[in-house]
Amino acid sequence: MSGKSAAKAAQFASNLPHLQNLMKRDPISYKDEFWKQWQYFHSLMQTFQLQPSKYNEKLDEMITFLAQVSHCYKEEVSQLPETLSNILKNHSTTLDRTMRMTLIKAVIMLRNKDLISATSVLQLFFKLLRCEDKLLRKTIYQYVVSDIKNINAKHKNARLNSALQTYMFSVLQETNGVMVKTALDIMIELYKRNIWNDAKTVNVITTACFSKITKVMVAAIKFFLGKDVEEQNEDSDSETEEPPKKTAKTLTLGHRVAKKTKKRKKKLERALEAVKKHNKNKSQAEAFNFSALHLIHDPQDFAEKLFRQLEKSTERFEVKLMMIDLISRLVGIHKLILLNFYPFMKRFVQPHQREVTRLLLYLAQGSHEVVPPDAVEEVLKAIANNFITERNSSEVMAVGLNAVREICARCPLAMSDDLLQDLVQYRTHRDKAVIMAARSLIQLYRKVNPELLHRKDRGRPTEAMKELKVLSYGQTEANSFVSGAEVIPDMEAKKEQAEHEQGEWESCSEEDDDSDGEWVDVYHSSDEEAEKDKPEETEEDQKLREKKAEEVSTTRIMTDEDFKAINMAQISKDINPAKSSANRRKRKRQEALGDENSRELPTLGDIELVHKKKAHDRESRLATVAAGREGREKFSHGPQKMNPHASTTNKDKAKKKVFTMVKHKIRRKKVKRSFKEKQIALRNSLIKRNKNARK
Amino acid sequence: MSKINRDSLRESIDNILKYSTETKKRKFTESVELQIALKNYDPQKDKRFAGTIKLKHIPKPKMKVCVLGDQVHCDQAKANDIPHMDIEALKKLNKDKKLVKKLAKRYDAFLASESLIRQIPRVLGPGLNKAGKFPAPVTHNDVLSTRIEETKATIKFQMKKVLVLNVCVGHVNMTAEELYQNITLAINFLVSLLKKNWQNVRALYIKSTMGPSEKIF
Repeated sequence: MSGKSAAKAAQFASNLPHLQNLMKRDPISYKDEFWKQWQYFHSLMQTFQLQPSKYNEKLDEMITFLAQVSHCYKEEVSQLPETLSNILKNHSTTLDRTMRMTLIKAVIMLRNKDLISATSVLQLFFKLLRCEDKLLRKTIYQYVVSDIKNINAKHKNARLNSALQTYMFSVLQETNGVMVKTALDIMIELYKRNIWNDAKTVNVITTACFSKITKVMVAAIKFFLGKDVEEQNEDSDSETEEPPKKTAKTLTLGHRVAKKTKKRKKKLERALEAVKKHNKNKSQAEAFNFSALHLIHDPQDFAEKLFRQLEKSTERFEVKLMMIDLISRLVGIHKLILLNFYPFMKRFVQPHQREVTRLLLYLAQGSHEVVPPDAVEEVLKAIANNFITERNSSEVMAVGLNAVREICARCPLAMSDDLLQDLVQYRTHRDKAVIMAARSLIQLYRKVNPELLHRKDRGRPTEAMKELKVLSYGQTEANSFVSGAEVIPDMEAKKEQAEHEQGEWESCSEEDDDSDGEWVDVYHSSDEEAEKDKPEETEEDQKLREKKAEEVSTTRIMTDEDFKAINMAQISKDINPAKSSANRRKRKRQEALGDENSRELPTLGDIELVHKKKAHDRESRLATVAAGREGREKFSHGPQKMNPHASTTNKDKAKKKVFTMVKHKIRRKKVKRSFKEKQIALRNSLIKRNKNARK
Repeated sequence: MSKINRDSLRESIDNILKYSTETKKRKFTESVELQIALKNYDPQKDKRFAGTIKLKHIPKPKMKVCVLGDQVHCDQAKANDIPHMDIEALKKLNKDKKLVKKLAKRYDAFLASESLIRQIPRVLGPGLNKAGKFPAPVTHNDVLSTRIEETKATIKFQMKKVLVLNVCVGHVNMTAEELYQNITLAINFLVSLLKKNWQNVRALYIKSTMGPSEKIF
């Protein structure tokens, strides 16, 4: 017996994968074999301990083997995880490279089999990052990300997550650059994958923005700026499952035709399940991803600290630029007051400054209505003085005007009427880019505060302008009604009339009756007439309208149609000239709906909008030519022959003959003598006659 | 066709009032809140909406408003027994974060004289803004008490970190009709703020502070 098993052991010793296979199939009957290998492993370990830096092939194989079969003999190998991690801990840097990788892979395998806790593995791996081994670092990074992803795959394990997070956060305070960077990368990756997308993670990443290690700081700032949004999108695209190509119906139909076997039945069931799962995913509410900037707990403090760091920093210009970008975004989004920021930026407002358009953009980002106007005004003046003067090129002027517009769109109070009227005069400049920029500034102030503009620049007064209230500093518009709601009774009345005409009282549903209610007649009769009687609207009319709107918006709950009507009315107010409510045109311009305000931050394109747009580029010109040619017969000179099959005349033929064939004929043609020739001929003949007469 | 039935809204208002005035009366005045859950709204792409509206009836009568005024306003405030501070008192805070925070905590809203308001960020620092209580301006033409009433009646819709909003629209001592008007106005205004109006609304609830919530949409 013992001889037999010894032979067997020897056989298996040389062929561990074979044994591993057998063990996985039938763990109980191979317990003895396992014990032998286990003892052998211990003896190998003892020799290894003597010389940990040496590569030991036997041990290498044995570790892989043990890790592979560990789940079959959980009790027996309870010591294994600790042994392996101890080796890694104690000899992390001295170990042989291959050996270390094997050990790490074994630990990963044990972790995947849940024989070792996540926190201890994480701690171990972060210690290992000290080794200078790129492959190792990469493996660890990928493993940690995927492990945490797997932990949270089915449901979020809050306690474990918070334990792991606290450990990661403690790592961020370390001095070792590689460790900090890896920890940060892992957190950013997990945030992007929507695994750790809570405020806690974000707020820890804010601390990384103040790291002394530039790489770490830049990575953290980039995270907040969301530089690699495209990359993230690609990732998520690849990660989302492909929708199953077949529907449930086609699958069952397909199953009907061929032979019915068990295997095919199972296949069908699986496919149906996949379809069901896919449909379920579609119907689930989408997970909302608030951008990291919104999740910061104390943006004011963060921005102030960043600004202090920026002032002191001696980093490269690009890094500084990023810091400015982040600060300005924080200020803009959270409406912070950071008064020192504006004088600081004033320094950069020079046409020859590197990346000046970006800096101007950041200025625009960082201005909002809560900033005291005088702080922004200084910057505006600086832009006006440095950019918008005749001595600069027209591009510079246009950039300056665009920047002024973007800033003023966010902080309209910063503009004084003198400055605005000066700037607006560039609408007659010779360069188109400047003209466009100046006009856009006019457009902006027509909407925001027409009082500042010169009277002739205010444009035709519209109804919307009459309702416009210029907000002073700190004021917020608070109406007691939904603006535009006054149109609803009119609309309702009209609809009712139409219904009356068609005699459709029966089809009108009960609920409609309910919502129309009693008030319709009241408004319709009195106010409509009142409006028609007076062509010009007075202050009282305005008040009446407001009252009406208030009444409507407090008594009924508006529907989507009502909102549509309100929107229409608001748009037509923008378009229609004031006071003439009689000839109100109904222009349907849905696209005019305030889409321009939908963005939180300005874009670089808004400021760099200085290129000349040609009226016609080559392609469009060719397109118009092609359009003109369409449906036209081929172009030709002169009247065409009546009968296209008739023979040609000699004259036509002569036209087509080769020139050498007709050359002599052309010469022979009778040519009239010129005056000069006649003169010479006359003179000669006279001389000749004279001679003859003398003889 | 209306998304919310009028009668059912009235009924749920009645339910709420009944619960907190009869079934389980509390020792304080409960407020009535409107809770809104949004949908089809991408907080990263779409603009964060924020809006203020003046309700017809004051939802929180106990709100404390402080006047940061110049001489004229301070005198007026003194006469009407309204809490007030002048610029000297503000300067005494010396931009101390803790003191400013305390000041912001003590009152629910602030009003500032028009001549003064521009200096406030410089005098007080970012504290008031951080607390979301940046003062509103008052001119000398305004009557201080009506301005304060207006401020009390004004509510603010602002979405923060979740897709759910919660605003106070009244209290249980109001009549059902008053509550109805306030709720209707608030709902209408909120829905008008949304890009796709009713298509962006997942659910609407009303509830009193301690009572159960009533789903109205």
